[in-house]
Amino acid sequence: MEENKILLKTKDIRVRYNKVEAIKGVSLEVAKGSIVTLIGSNGAGKSTVLKALSGLNPIVSGEIWFLNHRIDSLLPQDIVKLGISHVPEGKRLFSRMTVLENLKMGAYIRKDKEELKKDMDEVFHYFPKLKARINQAAGTLSGGEQQMVAIGRALMAEPKLLLLDEPSLGLSPLLVLEVAKIIREINKKGVSIILVEQNAKMALQLAHFGYVLETGKVALDGIADSLLNNTHVRDAYLGG
Amino acid sequence: MDMTLLLQVTLNGLMLGMIYIVVALGLTLIFSIMNVINFAHGEMYMLGGLVAYYFSEQLQIPYMLILVLAMILVGVFGIVVEKFFFRPFRGELLPALIVSLGLSMTIQTLTLLNFGTEDQSVSTVFPGMINFLGALFSKERLAIVITCIVFILSLYLLIQRSKIGCAIRAIAEDREAAALQGVNIDRICSFTFGLGCALAAAAGVLIAPVFYVNPYIGGLPLLKAFIIIILGGMGSLLGAVVGGLILGTVESFGTLFLSVPASNLLGFIIIILVLLFKPSGLFGHE
Ligand SMILES: Nc1ncnc2c1ncn2[C@@H]1O[C@H](COP(=O)(O)OP(=O)(O)OP(=O)(O)O)[C@@H](O)[C@H]1O
Ligand SMILES: [Mg+2]
Repeated sequence: MEENKILLKTKDIRVRYNKVEAIKGVSLEVAKGSIVTLIGSNGAGKSTVLKALSGLNPIVSGEIWFLNHRIDSLLPQDIVKLGISHVPEGKRLFSRMTVLENLKMGAYIRKDKEELKKDMDEVFHYFPKLKARINQAAGTLSGGEQQMVAIGRALMAEPKLLLLDEPSLGLSPLLVLEVAKIIREINKKGVSIILVEQNAKMALQLAHFGYVLETGKVALDGIADSLLNNTHVRDAYLGG
Repeated sequence: MDMTLLLQVTLNGLMLGMIYIVVALGLTLIFSIMNVINFAHGEMYMLGGLVAYYFSEQLQIPYMLILVLAMILVGVFGIVVEKFFFRPFRGELLPALIVSLGLSMTIQTLTLLNFGTEDQSVSTVFPGMINFLGALFSKERLAIVITCIVFILSLYLLIQRSKIGCAIRAIAEDREAAALQGVNIDRICSFTFGLGCALAAAAGVLIAPVFYVNPYIGGLPLLKAFIIIILGGMGSLLGAVVGGLILGTVESFGTLFLSVPASNLLGFIIIILVLLFKPSGLFGHE
């Protein structure tokens, strides 16, 4: 990949929880405008990689570059200002706050009121169901609706890169398709995406490029289509 | 029992309740976002009373101005204390608890050395009585109740309506998720701690002309604030308001039938009942 087409790059990053190394030297690249997926089984370290990117987990060695910024020692609140929004595992909504307040929290770093209104409308365009629920406490929404608020909240920050941690978890098959469609639509508008998924098939169908994580290391990477046809990937992640 | 006495006792209870509420709101606010049980909170109330005494008796500054000055001074003091004593232990309940106990004793001792142990009184700001529904009320007490209500409503608006209030609630629910939205956690914690201390100081200033000032006066309102918070539910602002009204009324009516020390026990009876039947308090989460 040419340098100026790369949005995000990690060089040999390592993350430790107490003494245990969860990420053992991972190097990734995300091209501008692309969807990249991280797949892997439970405990492989997918969420940990995302948390390193958004600043929630400090890395012990390696480098993370976003555009021209080295971001691996920045705090989460500064990383989101540069344009990386993280939809964490388990959604992590502010459940006692209303849907509207959650979306407003997503726009916390922004000052442009006019644009903000437009983006709020865009969120309701993606998720029309939320509009009727703006004054409802987020904790009282259904799982699917909560996932929509979580994605909507992240979009409100106007990200260049969206980190999605298992957006299809707990959704009905129909809703998974819906979310997939919306992810593609968001990407078409120019937002790059890192998609972490248990649902490897959906992820690889959506993504341009994929990384397979196994116990904290990249076991395999490649164009998403080629991974879909890879025998190892088929056996281990696509159910044969 | 005659009506006048009843009304006066009610007003008294209301005044006590309001003062407790303002102290408790600061305490519960700090607890809700920092998980710190701040035993030095009573000292902020005491410092408020102290500032009131100096400024009003020695310098004769108008009382409204004293209220504002005390809140600023103690608020800034709180911010400094948070930065150097609480921030290093953030998220660690026990160390922060011990720090706050130490802090409480230190502030009290330092005050003692400079102020002495004597009770000092602060002259009345609104002397006289007002006739309402045939009963005589002290203007001072009415003014205290009204000022406290203004504080409580302002705090409510700040927390519910403003951007910074939204950030405070977000941190209270999920600190990491708040950081991911771009909230500067350190700055909001610092602000909230300062605000909580300023509220305690305000209560101290307001009540100073009714009671007296010495280095030990912080203990009682702190205890009352704890009772209210347990009654209303840890971290719940609404709970603090309702809890304060209940405690103030119960204690005040208690003095009709019991001695003052005995009526002070009523709060503990309430606590025991709450812990037995609804441990999370009236408005507690989970
Ligand atoms: N806060 C933590 N403290 C200690 N160990 C952790 C912590 N979070 C994750 N780990 C460990 O790090 C490893 C990677 O966890 P991670 O959550 O990144 O996996 P994952 O690929 O996202 O798994 P899943 O698909 O189940 O979400 C696991 O072994 C996990 O037990
Ligand atoms: Mg995970």
